[in-house]
Amino acid sequence: MERKKWYAFGTREVVYSALGAALYGVLSFATNMLALPAAGNLALRPAVCIPMFFGVAFGPWVGFITGFLGNIIGDALSGWGFWFWWDLGNGLMGLIPGFAASMITNYRATRSFVVADLFSILGVIVGMGLASLSEIWVSGIDLNTATVGYFLPAALTDIVNGIILVPILMVAYAAIVGRTGR
Amino acid sequence: MLISWRYRERNTLIQKLDPRARWIFLLTVMFSVIQFWDIRFLAFFLGLSLVYYFLARLTWKETRRVWTFVLILVVVIIGLNALITGRGGSTAVLRDTRHTVWEVRWVVPGVGWTIHLFITVEKIVFALAQMMRMLTIAVLFIPVAFTFNPNHYGVTFRRLGLPDKVAFSMDLAFRFVPTLAHDFSLTLDAQRARGYEVEKLSGGLIAQIRKMAPLIVPVTINAIVGAEDIVNAMDLRCFGLRPRTWLQELRYAPRDDALIGFSVVVLVGSLLARALLRIGDFWVPDAVLRLFGF
Amino acid sequence: MVRLSADLPLRIERLTFRYHTRPEPALRDVSLTLEPGELLLVAGASGCGKTTLIRCINGLIPRTYRGELQGRILVYGQDARSMSMAEFSQKVGTLLQDPERQIVGSFVLNEVAFGLENLGLPRAEIRARVEEVLAYLGISHLRDREIFHLSGGEKQKVALAGVLAMRPGILLLDEPLASLDPVSAQEALALFRRLADEGTAIILVEHRVEDALSIRPDRVLFMQDGWIAYSGPPDGMTDAVDYRQVKLPAPLILQRAAANSPPHFEPAIRPNGREPLVIFEDVSFAYDEAGPPVIQDVNLTIRRGDIIALLGPNGAGKTTLVKHAIGLLKPRQGRVLIGGRDTREMSVAQVARTLGYVFQHPGHMLFAPTVREELAFGPKNLGFSPEETDRAVARAVEIVNLRGLEGYPPLALSFGQQKRVSIAAVLAMRSRILVMDEPTAGQDYWNYMAFMDSILQMPGFAAVLFITHNLDLAICYANRVVLMAEGRIAADGPPPEVLSDLELLRRCRIVPTSLLRLNLEYLPRTGRFMRAEALAHV
Ligand SMILES: Nc1ncnc2c1ncn2[C@@H]1O[C@H](COP(=O)(O)OP(=O)(O)OP(=O)(O)O)[C@@H](O)[C@H]1O
Ligand SMILES: Nc1ncnc2c1ncn2[C@@H]1O[C@H](COP(=O)(O)OP(=O)(O)OP(=O)(O)O)[C@@H](O)[C@H]1O
Ligand SMILES: [Mg+2]
Ligand SMILES: [Mg+2]
Repeated sequence: MERKKWYAFGTREVVYSALGAALYGVLSFATNMLALPAAGNLALRPAVCIPMFFGVAFGPWVGFITGFLGNIIGDALSGWGFWFWWDLGNGLMGLIPGFAASMITNYRATRSFVVADLFSILGVIVGMGLASLSEIWVSGIDLNTATVGYFLPAALTDIVNGIILVPILMVAYAAIVGRTGR
Repeated sequence: MLISWRYRERNTLIQKLDPRARWIFLLTVMFSVIQFWDIRFLAFFLGLSLVYYFLARLTWKETRRVWTFVLILVVVIIGLNALITGRGGSTAVLRDTRHTVWEVRWVVPGVGWTIHLFITVEKIVFALAQMMRMLTIAVLFIPVAFTFNPNHYGVTFRRLGLPDKVAFSMDLAFRFVPTLAHDFSLTLDAQRARGYEVEKLSGGLIAQIRKMAPLIVPVTINAIVGAEDIVNAMDLRCFGLRPRTWLQELRYAPRDDALIGFSVVVLVGSLLARALLRIGDFWVPDAVLRLFGF
Repeated sequence: MVRLSADLPLRIERLTFRYHTRPEPALRDVSLTLEPGELLLVAGASGCGKTTLIRCINGLIPRTYRGELQGRILVYGQDARSMSMAEFSQKVGTLLQDPERQIVGSFVLNEVAFGLENLGLPRAEIRARVEEVLAYLGISHLRDREIFHLSGGEKQKVALAGVLAMRPGILLLDEPLASLDPVSAQEALALFRRLADEGTAIILVEHRVEDALSIRPDRVLFMQDGWIAYSGPPDGMTDAVDYRQVKLPAPLILQRAAANSPPHFEPAIRPNGREPLVIFEDVSFAYDEAGPPVIQDVNLTIRRGDIIALLGPNGAGKTTLVKHAIGLLKPRQGRVLIGGRDTREMSVAQVARTLGYVFQHPGHMLFAPTVREELAFGPKNLGFSPEETDRAVARAVEIVNLRGLEGYPPLALSFGQQKRVSIAAVLAMRSRILVMDEPTAGQDYWNYMAFMDSILQMPGFAAVLFITHNLDLAICYANRVVLMAEGRIAADGPPPEVLSDLELLRRCRIVPTSLLRLNLEYLPRTGRFMRAEALAHV
């Protein structure tokens, strides 16, 4: 089937965005609830693979809404308040992998994994980067503090989780694209 | 896992206000606060947001968690700052650190590096200002999750100018949350019945992360498969063909206009104060200096 | 004459359709007409093209599903190709199979209003129409309720309201009974009949022909891989239809089966040696301390050789009960013993070694890239050695005959195959007791009968327990029936004993089926319950 324009936003995109956002919110909340070992729950944020994967599978807009709205929902569920810049950052973590969508046709190919992972990493760097930088002029810290206090911890865990789980989801998705053929 | 929204109908003044007006208020105040470093101005904004916060009438029980989170954040960040700042960023103000209160020079034995730590009056005041900024914004936004009705996000942001489709995907997301939470607990049970034990994730970080797949994959894929029906159901009922009516109606009451007016005044005022009057920069009260005997 | 036919709600001429992803057409040369107030029943095995036909009529084909479409569809005399989706939606309404998967609003009001909002109607009119349709369906009291907390039956009424609010002249129902318990199904059918009598043209797609026939459809269409195998009055159909493929009323099966050789079905499990495997002692449970008890003072012993059917209405506590057996839930009072050990002292993983629990929907557990890895998951968790694991997996694959599919992604399999994988996943853990929650839901008659036959003929189980809403399943397969109602065990014993008490069944909101009546009639001669095919040869 011919690919859609990357900026197209029809009913499918609306539904997948909503689905992604809800999933991201619920999974962040749930993995937060499960008493996970390791360095606290922060070390394991497996849910971050959701915005990345939805970006890769359904394009940038879906990815962005998934990350942005999903993070808001997750915080709303677990009562973490509302952190605009971090929501935005999460949005970018889905938006940027979304630009890989048009390059990926076969979700099982190693090449696709590499592309998806690279874009995911880029997404994390830009997204978490923006969020951390925003703290410089929001809470007036300097670059070092932003890097040590915000960027590194967030970015590292997100990248590790992302590059491991996104390919796993891609393989699973490859198995069903045939079934929900349009 | 039965999830529940933090939102509750509290019939407070805050909740009687139009959600659009409240978002406008929150955002304008946030942008105003971050203009200032002068603790006198910051005090005003902190006061303002505290008033707003207490009007929301949240109980300590429901907010305990977020408060601990915020306090840890403040402590960590200020701590880090006190130790490693002084170079560039908005902390340029600290470059002239004359009034040293406390200072250590310590030569690490063997290596021979010298660690030079010092606390100055400026740093203390700066830390104070910083804390006030962080608190103001936190206090401002904590009530969001507790006081905005999840089911009005869509219409609210539609009326704030978002396109129909984007606005509706917000509503749809909130509709999916309980269903997906239910699916998740089903999957968790199903995998536990196959001997999967989340509590006992073993192995290195990577292995642990891979072990999340049995939980994440089924929920995600299931949802995506189900999405096809939902897309059809929406297409069949003409979604997105023409501008849609939103059944919930939002009307500005006079008090909303007042709030919006106030917000605009605050924002414009702040911008003018900084741009023209050039007031509101970092400021060390003489009182504090005297306090430390300078 | 011509002009008259042009006014027919629906006229399909020589329709053929092929999905662009498929080599062969899903519909072949289908023609039919529909008159106002006519109720047309469309039956056929899974994959025969029923849903595809529906999609052609409601305009999804060719709008969202691309492919190659031949023939003509006239809706109220207008060619479907020339119609916009907006026009369609106000002439043709569609109710999809699973209400949970088509409801887009969080609250009943929003859901019912959704379509009208999309048409951009003024608020006042929307409200008026919503009130009207809610009142018509008798669910005005649900108006401001949250969808998530509605029962399955209520959800479906709400979904239907959302469709009817658009005031369609044609109503398409795609397996509307699939997710309903018998009582709710009866209500739904009665409602469809009423709609037809009041002038709506209805196409009802349904596997459960027996139930559907109870509302006297005007015409029946029987499809076989894309063709129309029979089209005409209900009575005629029963000859054209294969009674193994579609669920007919028992007496008919009786007549037809007499001709063929008797079915040979021998369960591998025999009621031998009454060794107790699972014991419930005065078990009571509530999901939250304050809340009402969901199950109360349950005493139940599962013994070697039992094939138990657990029956009861929605919300009776069936799932809650079996979740205690595997230790997913621990009783608040009383105790559950497995192999003599209290589940409170065992982890779920430990219980899983003896008791395998198959969840209703395989989609909730499948995650691995290949069937082999999927099946190895359980054994690995239980600490089997690699060799043991391989052996266990190989055996499981053998038993559910998935040979050849080991390297295949489970998620790409058909629903029936996925179901078998989920059973194999339990078998691979060497569990001796098999517990299944609604094993047949969402499969067509032929598939689930074949499926149950194969499971119960599998070696290796000491006992089997299955939860079901399908009374005939209990009659055909169980050697023991447990009835639950309001969290208590209402009856427990051999099928003839328990199910012959029709008063009891009524209290437990279970609707007697034609097969039950037939069996009760034959009971003096047979002494036990059996499927209609078998009865034909006594
Ligand atoms: N979206 C699709 N893309 C490609 N092929 C499809 C699609 N949907 C259905 N098919 C194929 O078309 C054929 C008819 O499917 P259809 O869903 O109409 O059968 P059905 O009678 O509704 O089955 P069931 O009773 O299981 O719902 C099947 O072979 C199916 O695999
Ligand atoms: N996780 C849960 N939390 C709270 N209440 C629940 C939960 N699961 C089920 N219930 C309630 O417990 C009661 C029994 O539920 P259960 O699922 O055991 O019934 P069931 O007999 O399996 O019904 P069905 O035939 O629809 O599956 C219902 O009223 C249900 O609302
Ligand atoms: Mg179908
Ligand atoms: Mg159940």
